[in-house]
This record gives sequence, C-alpha cells and structure tokens, in this order.
Amino acid sequence: MTLTVGLTHFLLLGALLFVCGAVCMASKRNAIGILMGVELVLNAATINFVAFARYNPIFQVEGQIFALFVIVLAAAEAAIALAIVLNFYNNHLSVDVDTAEELKG
Amino acid sequence: MMDLLELFGEHPGWYFVAATLVPLLSFVLILSASALWCAARPFRDTPAGAALFNFFGGEERGRTPAYVATGAIALAFVLSLVGFLRFTIQQSEFETQIQQVQRDLYELRVKAKAAQGQDKEKWEEEIEAKENELENKEKMWESARSYAWQGHFDWLRIRPGSLRDPDRGTVLQLGYKIDSLSALMFVMVTFVASLIHLFSIGYMSEELQPEVEDHQVHTRYGLLVRRGRFGRFFMFLSLFCFSMLNLVLADNLFQVFLSWELVGICSYLLIGFYFERQSASNAANKAFITNRIGDAGFILGLLILWTNLGTFHFDELFQRLRAPLRDSHGTLQLAGRFVRGDLDPARAADGSWSLKYSPDGAQVVLFPLPQDRPEHYHGVGPDRDDRVDVFEAPKKGQHGSMPYWLLVAAGLGIFLGCVGKSAQFPLHVWLPDAMEGPTPVSALIHAATMVAAGVYLVGRCYPLFTYEALLVIAYTGGITLFIAATIAVVMTDIKKVLAYSTVSQLGYMMLALGVGGWVAGLFHLLTHAFFKALLFLCSGSVIYGCHHEQDMLKMGGLYPKMKITALTMLIGVLAIAGIPLFTGWYSKDAILAQALGFVYVHPQHLLLFLLPLGTAGLTAFYMSRLWLMTFTGKPRDEHVYEHAHESPGTMTMPLVVLAVCSVGIAWGWPIYDAQASWLEQNVHHAQHHAVLADFGNIDYTVDQEHGEYWVVAKRAEENERLYAYYNHHLAGNLALGLVVIGMVFAGLIYWKGVLDPAEAQEQFPGLHAFLMDKWRFDWLYSVVVVRPALVVGSWLAWFDLHVIDGVLHGVAYLSVLLSKWDGLFDNSVIDGLVNLVGNAIYSAGARLRNVQTGFLRSYVLFLVLAAAGIFMVLAYFVRMAAAG
Repeated sequence: MTLTVGLTHFLLLGALLFVCGAVCMASKRNAIGILMGVELVLNAATINFVAFARYNPIFQVEGQIFALFVIVLAAAEAAIALAIVLNFYNNHLSVDVDTAEELKG
Repeated sequence: MMDLLELFGEHPGWYFVAATLVPLLSFVLILSASALWCAARPFRDTPAGAALFNFFGGEERGRTPAYVATGAIALAFVLSLVGFLRFTIQQSEFETQIQQVQRDLYELRVKAKAAQGQDKEKWEEEIEAKENELENKEKMWESARSYAWQGHFDWLRIRPGSLRDPDRGTVLQLGYKIDSLSALMFVMVTFVASLIHLFSIGYMSEELQPEVEDHQVHTRYGLLVRRGRFGRFFMFLSLFCFSMLNLVLADNLFQVFLSWELVGICSYLLIGFYFERQSASNAANKAFITNRIGDAGFILGLLILWTNLGTFHFDELFQRLRAPLRDSHGTLQLAGRFVRGDLDPARAADGSWSLKYSPDGAQVVLFPLPQDRPEHYHGVGPDRDDRVDVFEAPKKGQHGSMPYWLLVAAGLGIFLGCVGKSAQFPLHVWLPDAMEGPTPVSALIHAATMVAAGVYLVGRCYPLFTYEALLVIAYTGGITLFIAATIAVVMTDIKKVLAYSTVSQLGYMMLALGVGGWVAGLFHLLTHAFFKALLFLCSGSVIYGCHHEQDMLKMGGLYPKMKITALTMLIGVLAIAGIPLFTGWYSKDAILAQALGFVYVHPQHLLLFLLPLGTAGLTAFYMSRLWLMTFTGKPRDEHVYEHAHESPGTMTMPLVVLAVCSVGIAWGWPIYDAQASWLEQNVHHAQHHAVLADFGNIDYTVDQEHGEYWVVAKRAEENERLYAYYNHHLAGNLALGLVVIGMVFAGLIYWKGVLDPAEAQEQFPGLHAFLMDKWRFDWLYSVVVVRPALVVGSWLAWFDLHVIDGVLHGVAYLSVLLSKWDGLFDNSVIDGLVNLVGNAIYSAGARLRNVQTGFLRSYVLFLVLAAAGIFMVLAYFVRMAAAG
C-alpha cells in the first residue's frame, strides 16, 4: 500500500505544528521561547496556505502570496518582538515574562 | 500771522468771534492748570511732583487766575470795541447814502401826489428809478454785511430725510452774525464784565487764604474751615462771560440754546459758590430748576420751528415767516408781516393746496428764501394774488404753510424760556434768592449776562412773535414790573432791594418789546446794565466795608465813612430813577412813550401804560429809600458803624468808571433832548423791519386817505417818529412828576424823619406782611407745586417700598423655596442615578480586573482555548448544516 500524501496530511501537520507552537507559548517563561512558539504558529498557518495552494486550484496564486506575506510578517514581527524583549531585558535584567505584571488590573 | 491779519481785515466779524473765544481760552487755561495742580499734589514729596506743584501755585495759590481771567475779558473788550467801531463806521457810511435816497424818494412822492395828468406819469417814472436805486443800495449794504459780518460752518449733520422733506432739517450750524445790537451788547457785556472782574479781585481776596472760615456754616466741630476757592471763582466767571458772548454772537437759535444752557449752569455754579451754606445750595437749585421750566418751553418752541421750517438760522426763519418787503409789483400791503390764510380743500393737488388769503386764517404762509425766489415774484395779499399754492414739502422757491396756532405756540415757548432766564412773572422767584452768590456774581448776573439774555433773545426773535404772543409778553412785563417794585419797597436787605429792582426793570424791557418798543426795550437793557452793575458793585462795596452786613436796618449814616461808594451809588440811584440827563431817563422815557403810543391805538390795554408809569414813581421811592437808609441819618447799629471802612482802590475804581458811564453813556446831541441819544440811534439800526410792519402803522386809523392797510415800512417809520416825539414829552413829563413825588416822599420819611415808616407798617399790617412775603409766591408755589410734588413723592415712595419691593421680595422668597426643592431632587434623584451607574461600573470593573492576571501564558491559554471553542462551535454548525 502506497501512502499518498494528500491535503489532510498537510493540514494535520499544520495543526500539530500549531498545537506545538501554542503549547510552547503557553508553557515557556522565557520570552525568546515564546517568540519561538509564535514562529511555530505562524509557520503552521503558512503550511496550511501552501497546502491549499497545491491542492485547490482556486487558491493557486493566493495561497502562495499569503505564504509570502506571512513570512514577511513573521520577519517583521520577530524584529519588533526581539526589540521589545531587548528593552524588557534592559529594564528587568531578565527575560522572564512573569515579571511583566506591572500593568495588570 | 499774515493770514490772521487778512482774516480780520476781510471778515471783521472775527473780532467778535475772537472776543468770544478769549474768555473760553481763559477758562480752559485755569481749568487745566487746576487739574495739573490737583494731579501733582499727591506727589509733592517727589522732586518732579514738587516742581509741578509749585509751578501751579503750591499751597498758597496766588492771584494768577484772576489776572488771566481779567486779562482775557479786558482783551475781549478791546476786540469788541475795535469791532464795534469798524462796524459802526461801515454802517453809517451806507446808512447816510441810503437815507439820502430815501429822502429824495419821499420828496418825489409828495410832489407826485400833488401833480396832475401827464406830470404824474413823469413823476412816477422818476419814483420808480429812485426805488430801484434804493433797492440797489440796500442790496449792496446787505451783501457787504453778509460778507464781512456774518459767517457759519456746519457743526452737525443729521441723517437726511428725518423730516417730511429730505432737504430740510439736516444740519446744525455754528455761526456769527453782527448787527449794531450784537455789537453794542458785546461792548457792554465785556466792559461791565471787565470792571466786575476787577472788582472781584478785591472782593474775593478772602478766598486767597489756604484755609477760609465760613461764618455761616456750623458743623459739629465748630465753624466750617475749607480751602479758598479764588481760582475757581474766576474760572466760572470766564465761562460765564464766554457763554453770554456766544449767545450774543449766535446767528441761529440752536447756538443760542447751547449758550443758554451754559449760562444756566454757570449761574448755578456761581450762585451756589458757597455751597456748604444750605441757603446758597437751595438758591442755586431754585435758580436751576426754575430755569428748567422755562427751558422746557424753549425746547418746545425750537422743535416746532425745526419741524415746520427745518432751520434755526435767524435770517432764514424771518425771511420765511415774514412777507418780503418787495415783490415784482413794488409795494406790498403786508410787507414784513405774517400772511395768514385758509387752505382750500376743493383746490388741492397732490402734495399741495391752494391757500386763500384771509386776515385771520388758520394757516400762515411760509415764503421762499430770497435767493430761491424766481425773477418775477408775486407776493400774497388782499387785493391781488390772494391765492397761492402752498406745498406740503416745499422745494426751493415754493411756498409752504404751517398752522398759525403752532406759530403762536412756538413764540410763547421761546418767550417762556426768556421768562425763566429774565426772571419774569411767574418765574421771577429765583432771582432774589440768587443773592446768595458773591456780590460780583449778582452784579454780573443782573447787569450783563444772564437776565440780559432773556430780553436779548426776545429782541432777537422778535419777528417770530405773533400779535397774541406780543400781548402776552407785554402783560407779563407789566405785571412783573409792578409786583417786583412793590416788594422792593419793603425789603430791608440791601441786595434784595436791588434784586427786585432788577426784576422790575426787566419787566419794563419786556413790556417795551411787547408793545413794539423794540428799540426802547433793548436801549433800556444796555443802559440798565451800566447803572445796575454800578448799584450792585456799590452794594458789594458797602457789604465789604461793613464786614458782610447786608441788612439796611443795621446801617445808616455811612456817608462820611465811605464817600466814594456813597456818591457813585447816588449816581446809580438817580440813573435808575430816571432823573433827566442820567442814562435811565433816556431809556425809561422811551419805553413809556412807546407804551403810551400803544395805548392810544388800543385803549383797552390802558393798564400797559398805567403800570409802568406808576412804577416809575415807586422805583424812585424805593431806590431813594435804599440810599437814604444806608448813608444818611443816625447809625442804627454802633458796632457796624464803628468798623465800617471804605473799600480799596481796585474796588472803588470800577465804581467810578461805571458811575461815569451811568451818567453819560446814552448822551447824544443836544444832551437835553431825550430822543437824541446816540445809543438809541445805534440800536435803531438793528431793528428788524417786522417791528415797523407790526407797530409802525399806529397812525393807520388817522391815515384814511390810503385806506387801513396802507403800510410801507419806510413811510411808517416816519409816522412812528412823529408820534413817538409827541408821546415822549407827555409820557416823560408825567413820569418825571411821579419820580419827583416818589423821591420827595422817600426824603421826608427816611431823611427828615417827618413820617415814621413803622407807623405805616402798623396802619397796614396786612399789606406790609403781604409785601414782605413777596406776594406769597414762594408760599403759593410751595402749596401748589412743591408740597403736592412731595406728597405724590411720598405716595410713590410708599408704593415703591411696599408694593414694588413687596413683589420683589415675594418673588425672591419663592425662588429660594423653589431652589431648595430643586436642590433636594437634584441631590437624591439625579445624583442618585448617576452614582448608581458609576458604582455599578466600578464594581464590575473591580471584579473583571481579576481576569487580567498579568501572565502571558495564561493569556495564550485563554486565547487557544477560545479559538478551540470557536472552532468546535463552528464545526458543530457546519455539521448541522451538512446534515440538514
């Protein structure tokens, strides 16, 4: 039995990746770790876009372009987030996000 | 500089304008100096302040204001004198020429009347030529006069179209118009005022001290001590002189009214000069309020004239109201008179009516101004052209009309103003009270300025007065002169006697104006100014010498103590009594002659001759009484007599000058001829032809040959002179007899002591008390006017306090109550709602803040759980949709 790789597989991979990212975001105290989780979530979305572009002719172009957008967005987001983290570190001498609670209600 | 000289050369009327403005300048100078002094005073500790303060006199301000004011009025006198001489010379040149032509014309007429047939035509041609010559000569004089001696500028423009006619009533002007009357008035006012200024320097010297004690004002801390007011006195004098001169200068009623009010306020300020004294402050108020009553009438008159004629200019008013002297047919029956008629409704067009002449019509014709008249101009009269089209809003060159009764009302209104100002019955009550002012002020008010203004204005406005108005004027004068003289007989205050004598003499002038003695009235105004100023200054000198004692019952035998004062006052007494060769003789006889002439024609007005005639004797009596009581007999009060002394030179010098004038100012050649007075002749030049038209024809009943209405002004003038000559002797002799009787009587009682005045008082206690109470006018006014006004005032005050204030208080109480309720509602309901919402939101927020943990991981967890939840719900719905 040959295992053909279909859309479902890609979607499952995306979901797996998304869950990994989400769990990473929810469990890490390290800001850099959270950023990594965010990247995982974004890439899960990208996989979904690309998969739809491959298997659904309607989204042939759009899926590719959205994937490119998400990559660009992720790059920008990473730059900004790293800048925030750097500043956070300068103020708290740590990157533990649990110390960022001064604004809580 | 050259321009100025040219101005005075070309327009010599500017001499008088300058004479008017110089006292104003002096007023402004003194006022601004005082203002700077006051401004610098608080800073006199600083060097700059002290310099300024000392420059304007320091603590003890000297006589500088007096010198400025006296210098100003003296300069005004010099300017007036120069102007007067130039005017008189120019006028007499023209008058001589005109008189020559008139004489020729008269002779031609006499010859023409005698001639027959063809000769007659020839004479008539010559008469016409002469008439043209006369007309040309008169026109030349008119134009010369209007160029050199008149001028005006627009002072205030009023929105056009405020009246029915857009061309009328649009501008108020200031201007000057000099005729021989105003020129004489200028010389008289400035001369008398200069002497009064000079006299005041001595009389007011007490005011020079920095601290003056007023012996008549008692305060809680003893006698009142106040700062001396020397400068203020002379400042007011200057303003007073300016106002009076401006009044004389004016060429229009509006300017007269301005000055009129200025004169009023100056008299108020000067009568109330010692305003801390209750009596002085009351007297000032009385003078001012009484004059307001008169001025109300004046304003009404002005409004009537303005509405109907649209101008205040004297010449224009007279030219529009009085029929022109000439029309294209030569002589006019109604020349110089009012022309009355009735509007004919049957022949009315759009905006115009046909007016039919009738001697007692309801309308009076308004004539077009000479410059607007067409070449060929017809007058209106009984025999030809007895109809004329009058327009509702006459354009240039058209006739208009106004109701006759309005014209009568306007005349009476203006006269009411003069009644107030000249202290005529029934508004005479203020003048005797005005004696509260310093004596030089009394002299100024009585002689030269304020009271003269009323008589002057009646003279100036003569052509506005209708027959009815003139009769009112004559009777007012007659009543006034008699009442005042009777009161003067019993007064013992030396100034009050003089005050009532002034009222009486003003009555003479008014009476003269009312019976057509225009010249006589104004002549008397001029001569009276000199001897009344003399009498007042003499009384001032007596009062000063007796240390402010005014009661004649404490004087007596003062002649040896003050000879100059006594002798000059004697001259004044003789002049006012009308002893031949003194000024009063010429003018008073002229008035009596005029009254006699009037009574010949109108026998029903006999009183108008008897009153002034009898009063002539009374005048002689009370004036002699005044002099004899003061200067002869035994001293009645040793204390006063001991300390009496003659006044210093600055005060006696004006007395001597005025005494000389009181003797000789009216002389003519020959001196003994009562009608040869140069002053009278000079006033005669200024007489408006309306006077001759109204009264010149007193012989028309005699002159049957030409019918009743044969009135030519020139011809009438000759008749008037004839009759006046005859009257003059009769009236003069009668008056002289009474004057002598009066003086002898006074001499018997007060000098020889043959009769005792106390006995007379006992015999007629009622009459004496009545006269002492001044005919009870003050009582009458107090009962009729003052007390009712106070009662009504107290009612109004009660109404105010109880009703109006009550309503106000009630409203206020209600609003407070309402506000309280409103406050309760506000606090509980509205604020409660607002607080409820706020609290709810606050507590909700307090609960919800627990959700915001501040842990990033919990947020992500919520996010993921929420996303998962949403997807599950969506999946559920999608499946439901697919299934169903």
